Order: sequence, then structure tokens, then C-alpha cells
Amino acid sequence: MSILLNRLLELRGITKRFPGVLANDHVDLTVEKGEIHALVGENGAGKTTLMRILYGLEQPDEGEIRLGGKRVTIDGPAAAIRLGIGMVHQHFQLVPSMTLLENVVLGAEPSRMGVTDRAAAHKKVQEIAGSLGMTLPWEARVADLSLGPQQRVETLKALYRNASILIFDEPTTVLTAQEADQLFDVLRRLAHDGATIIIITHKLHEVMSISSRITVMRRSKVAGVLETAGSSPQEIAHLMVGEDVGHMERTGRSQPGEDVLSVSNLLALDKRGAPALRGLTLSVRRGEILGVAGVEGNGQYEMVQAIAGLIPVMGGTVKIVGHDATRASTRQRREWGLSLIPGDRNAEGVSKVSTIADNLACTEYYKSPLSQAGVLNEGAMQQRAKTLIERFSVSTPSPYTKVGALSGGNVQKLVVARELASEPQVLIAAYPSRGVDVRSTELIHSKLLELRTDGKGVLLISEDLGELLSICDRIVVLCEGRIAGEVPTEQADIYWLGELMIGGKPATNPPGAVMPTVTTTTTTTTTT
Amino acid sequence: MITTETTVRQNPTASAYNRFGPLGQSLAPFVLALIVGAVVLTVTGKDALGTYAIIFQQAFLGVTNLADTLLFSTPLILTGVATLVAFRAGVFNVGVEGSLYLGAFMAAWVGFTWTGLPGVVVLPLAFVLAGLVGALWAWVPAALKAYLQVDEVVTTLMLNYVAIFFTSFLVNGPFLAPGTANSMSPAVAPQAEVPRFMQSSQFNWSFVFAIVLTFGGGWMLRRSTLGYAIRMVGDNSRFAAAGGINVARTLIYAMLLSGMVGGFAGAAQILGVNGRFIDNFSPGYGFQGITVALLAAERPLVVIPAAIFFGALTNGGGLVQLFSNIPIDLINVLQGTVMLFATTRLAFKWLKSRPGKE
Repeated sequence: MSILLNRLLELRGITKRFPGVLANDHVDLTVEKGEIHALVGENGAGKTTLMRILYGLEQPDEGEIRLGGKRVTIDGPAAAIRLGIGMVHQHFQLVPSMTLLENVVLGAEPSRMGVTDRAAAHKKVQEIAGSLGMTLPWEARVADLSLGPQQRVETLKALYRNASILIFDEPTTVLTAQEADQLFDVLRRLAHDGATIIIITHKLHEVMSISSRITVMRRSKVAGVLETAGSSPQEIAHLMVGEDVGHMERTGRSQPGEDVLSVSNLLALDKRGAPALRGLTLSVRRGEILGVAGVEGNGQYEMVQAIAGLIPVMGGTVKIVGHDATRASTRQRREWGLSLIPGDRNAEGVSKVSTIADNLACTEYYKSPLSQAGVLNEGAMQQRAKTLIERFSVSTPSPYTKVGALSGGNVQKLVVARELASEPQVLIAAYPSRGVDVRSTELIHSKLLELRTDGKGVLLISEDLGELLSICDRIVVLCEGRIAGEVPTEQADIYWLGELMIGGKPATNPPGAVMPTVTTTTTTTTTT
Repeated sequence: MITTETTVRQNPTASAYNRFGPLGQSLAPFVLALIVGAVVLTVTGKDALGTYAIIFQQAFLGVTNLADTLLFSTPLILTGVATLVAFRAGVFNVGVEGSLYLGAFMAAWVGFTWTGLPGVVVLPLAFVLAGLVGALWAWVPAALKAYLQVDEVVTTLMLNYVAIFFTSFLVNGPFLAPGTANSMSPAVAPQAEVPRFMQSSQFNWSFVFAIVLTFGGGWMLRRSTLGYAIRMVGDNSRFAAAGGINVARTLIYAMLLSGMVGGFAGAAQILGVNGRFIDNFSPGYGFQGITVALLAAERPLVVIPAAIFFGALTNGGGLVQLFSNIPIDLINVLQGTVMLFATTRLAFKWLKSRPGKE
């Protein structure tokens, strides 16, 4: 019976539907007091939705939440905080112009006669921080700090509000390795002091090093619950990606032809001006799908942008179907046969406030049949929209519906429809199935495979190894802006890929693997 | 297969305005402003309905009154269209006033310099050159924004003063009309003035020009490839760029068009009403055009009734002061309230269109 008393937090049968997507399907999660519980799963498996429900940001359609055996209703973050639940979001929610101290106490300032009692605030915050071995420049402004300290401020915010259950949503994505280690020290101390910690992550090594138990989610359901001590990374990976890894729709080996896209020694900067691509070299051949694996933020975005001509390159070359495209405009690249499914479809794939017909015309509106002599042919635009809506079975009442009214899956189908309509020679597909329901994902995959069969090239960027292994012919791993290794899919080993993704150096390489030459590594490491 | 079993989502942040439909959405700010004005009048012990009746009578009843209202609305239609074109590309151009001043001076210069030319030559020439000068003026902040990401609100606003003071210098110095003490240019040749419709009002063909231009602008935005590019860049510039539209060039084209129409507005006012360039002649036509454009939002034709509303307030408002002890400031209150509600509507729209609401 004592084990039951320890059971602090229970989520039972949580179900959450969004239009067109079942995000959580009767999910159970039990977290004991003083435990660090890892919630793992691929992107879109439903982890974040589950935690948003726990923090009161979403309401479940079915199911209940029990705390210490009692059923609770969490109708908003305020209710969650009252119940001692705190969440550290992936994107920090801090006020940049305020000091660390002000951010920690914001909204819950200790006050004397209506005036904030800074001394009392300082004392309380320092006590909490001290117990965790944290020292922070309290009077510095958040804007002046790097991401590691900002995350500590987020953590303190939750603790200051007496949170005893802490949710961390992918906390290490923005941290350096040292900062991640520091975070883990803090988490261990908190758990030791009796706090309950749920950490969402998709990095296996983090799961193994920090958690005591693991709940694995796959496709909106719980795929399994494991004790970390007794389980192997293989087990977790299998639960994560399922049994159907690696051999689905691909029909036979491809007979790749000449390069349709080749990128060599590409250098580019990210938005903040830091090097994002550090000598990227890869090529896509006719009749193949080249997969790019990697943890997001390792240059994927800049790679896509640079190939499409949307950001300037600082060095290297881009060739599209034999043309030197390094300095060419995006339209010129598209004219040469490039198509692009952007990674962030709401920001770059569509204009949500515009109609479907307008969205579908964007890549070809300037030429016949969509326009003549600078005048749009509305009939042709409507016809094109209708044809594509039908071919990709987009659910919409009319071609003049605003895209913002469609569900995620339908929006993505529109993007794919438009990008395939121009009959590309090479298609860049960045996270094409992210946030998309299973049926639409299948449709999108089948279209990519069709392109491959027709002798076109596809560059598929994904974080989902299952997706890459099931439809790619070759896989390269992108890590810190360059290719860390390449392998034919038949020879690909999920752990070998995983190790390269997180910057490791595997002891043995699978047969057929191509590793980068040592010279490029030595010349480029200095650029960090 | 266009199915009806759709997954169309009602956005939870949809504003109350949606219930009014598109026409109601355009009308709502006016109606709300009149209500607020009535409340202000009643609270201060004035007769609200009586005041509105005087304004309405003076603005619309009788041919001359109506002509005057349309006369007052003409520059606002043009500055409204000018601002709207830039807005549609996502450029918050508040520099139409500057284009207006330079276009106005250019038109006046043509009119008092090339006095030997016949009307059919000099009038179009004056308008073309005024449009050209207005466009060139707008090119400066446009290029700064397109290529160096300099915020256009600051540059366009500041350049207004440069334009106003520069024209002021011109008519106080090199182009001061001989024999006058006031800061104005010489009068333009009679044939350079825009023909009027009647004796009793200065109402002239500029109004027709403004109407035609508004319809032309609406057609350009909806049906031309340039208009398409402008709309897509304004709706989501990153999407437009990924689709192959040259965003920088499109921004510049939209600003050139905006500045050109701003120049036209100046020419229309000088050649249609004043007959010469007068220092500081604009009571803020360019700025009122911002309100007009905000009211019209994405429907260019709404510029016309919105401008007429302001024209009516200006025309009728002057009289209110004469016949009752209601200060002219009431008109400013009404204008300000309309502006407030118009921008509120945009705020709702902005909330609705925020990405990442999945």
C-alpha cells in the first residue's frame, strides 16, 4: 500500500482531439514523488499536448487528472500553479527589459502596503537559488543574458511559486553541453529534495542519464513505460519508432542518375550572425530520396534557405540541375526545377490570410496560363485551384476559402500540391509530415516516392528517423552545420545515426558509410 | 472533390466585428464614432441630434453643399489610395504628406513656368511630373527598407518635414511670387487650372480623376500580377519570398506607386483649388489619408465613402461653430474616434492572423 501513497500524479485516459488530428488517445501517465520521469517520443507523438493539458493550457476531451489520489480540474495555468505544478516552456516566457529578480517574482511580488518589497523578494529568491547551488546576476537584465541563465530564471519562477511538480519541455535544445549538464545537476537536486520532475525530450542519452522512469509515446498513445535502470536504448528506440521501421513503400533499389542538386562547402550565417553552415557538402541525384537527419538547429533551416536563395551564402556553391545557382534569385532557381516545402509552413509555406487560389498561384502567377501580359487570369487560377484541391483531396468548401481556416494537414497538402504542380526536377521537403495527421503523411510520402520513381531528386529533412528510414535511399547526418556521416538506408543503424546526430564519434561505422574527411574537420572547428 | 464535410475552423479570437459582415465592418467605425460623439455632446449639455443635423445639412443638402463636400474629399481620396497601396504591401507609409507637398510644388512650377503651353498639354504634364517627384521621394525610404531593413515609419514620417520645409524654403526664397509678402509661388497660368464644374463651388474635375484612379488602383491590386505580388508580400512576405516573389522589388514598386499618387494629390489640390503653391497649404491631407486607408483596409473602393465622410465633417463642421456654441474641436473628436475604431478593427485582424495558433 505504501507504494500507492507515493503515487503523486496520475493522468488517466487523457484524450485530446484537434480538428483533423487526434493528439492524445487515452494516455495514462503516472509520476511518483521525487522521481525524474522522461516523456519521450518523436515529434508529433503528443508529448507537448499532454503536458499542456497538465499545465491547464489545453482542456482534455476525456480523462482525468489525479493529484495525491484526489481528482483535480486544471482549467488554466493559474489553477496549475495553485496545485503546485510549474512548467518551463521550450520558448522562454521572460520580459527581456526586466531584471532577473523582477522576472522571477513578476506577478507574485512580495509587497508591503502595495509596494514591492525588493529586499524580501531578493531574500526568498536567493534562498531557493542557494539551495540548488545557483548563482545569478540578479540585477542584470534578461536581454543581456545567454539562454542557459534564462532557463534557470524560468526554473526559479516555477519554484518561487512553490511548484513541486515541474515540467520541462525539451529543455536542452537551446543549451550548450555544459549548460545542459548544469541543468541536470539542478534537476537531480530538486528530485532529491522531493520535487517531481517530468522532462520532455527526444535525446536518448539524456533520457538514460537523468531519468528514473520513462513513458514512451508513439502516434498519440503510450507505447510503453520503462524503468530506466533495466532498459536499453534499443528498447526505447523500438518503442519510439515502432516495429515498422525501415522497409515500407520503397520499391527496390533506386538507380540514381546524375546530380540534380549539389551543394559544396556552403557557408552561411544564422539570423544572429553566428555561423550556421560550416562547409556543407551534399548532392541529390536523379531517382533518389536523400534524407537529412539531425537535431533541429544544426543548420537545417539555413541549409534550406541557402539552397532556395532566401539567405545569402558566405562561401561555397549551389548547383541546381547543372546551373550554378549560388547567386541566382529564388524564382530563377524554381525556373531551373527547384521546388520547396518549407519547414515552417505557417510562416513560409502559406499565407493564412490569403485565399487558397492565391496561395496556390504564388509560384507561377507571373506566366501563362495564370496571367497574360501582367493581367491575372482569374478563371485559370480558379481552375488550377480546383484541380489541385481535387488531386490532393483537400477538404475545403471553396477555392476562395482563406487558408487560415484549414486544418494543419490540409494546409500541408496545399503546400505539397503547389510545389509538385510545377513539375520539379528536385524537391526540398523540410519536415513535410510535422504536425500532420497520419493519412496526409502517407499521401505526402507516396508523392515523394512518385517523384523518385519518375527520376527526380528529393532532399528530405526530418527529425523523425522512422520517416527517413522508411522512404530514403541514402541518409546523411547534419550536425553543427556540416555532414557528420552518410550511409545507404539499407545499412543504416538507428543508434549510429543517433550518435552522429548528437555530435558523437561512433567507434565502428556500418558498411557503406561515408565519413567526412579529417581535413575539413580540423579547418572548421576553429570557427566556433 | 470539394467536400462539404470540412474541417474549417472557427477562430476563437474572431472579433465581434465579424458579425456585421464586410459592409458592416467598414461602416462600424463611422457609426461608433457618431455614437461616441453624441455621448460627448449630450454629456456636455449640447443637442447631439441638432448638431448632426446641421452638419448633415451643410454637407449634403443642396448642390453647392454637396459639391463642396466632394471638393474637400478629393485630396483625401487620393492620399487614401496612396497610403492603401503601400499598406497592402505591408509598408506603413506615413510619408504621403511629403510626396503631396513636393508634387504640389512641382505642379505649381509647371503651371507658372510653362505658361505658353495649351491646357491639354500643361495639365497632364503637371500631373505626370508631380507624380514622378512624389514617387522619387517615396523611393528613398522604400530602398532603405527593402535593402537595409530600415524601419519605414520613422523615415517616412521624418522625410515629411524635410519636404514641407524644403517647399517652404522654395516659396520664401527663389520662387516667392513677386510683389507678395505671403509665402506663395506665382499663380499658375489659367489654362493650367483644373476645370471646375460650376461657379458656386471650387468643385472640379480632380474629383473624377480621383474616382477613376481609385477604381484603377483597386483593379491593379486585384487583377494585375504586380498587384498580386503586392498582396502576397503584404499578407506574408516570407511566404512570398519562398514562392519566388522578389520582396524588395515589390516593396519598392508599391512605395513608388504610393508616392506617385501622393504627388497627384498635391497637384490636384494646387491646380484644382489654390491656383498656386502656398506655404504649408495642407492641413494634413496625407495624415488623414492614413485614417481613410485604415478604414478601407483591404477594400480600395471603401476609400471613396471614407474620404467623403471626412470631407463632410470638414465642410459641415465649420458651420456648426457659427450656428451653435459647439467648438470646432468636436470635429477632431469625431475624426479621432473614427481612427481609433478603424485601428481597433485592424488589431482584431492582426490577432486573428497571428501564426502558430494550432
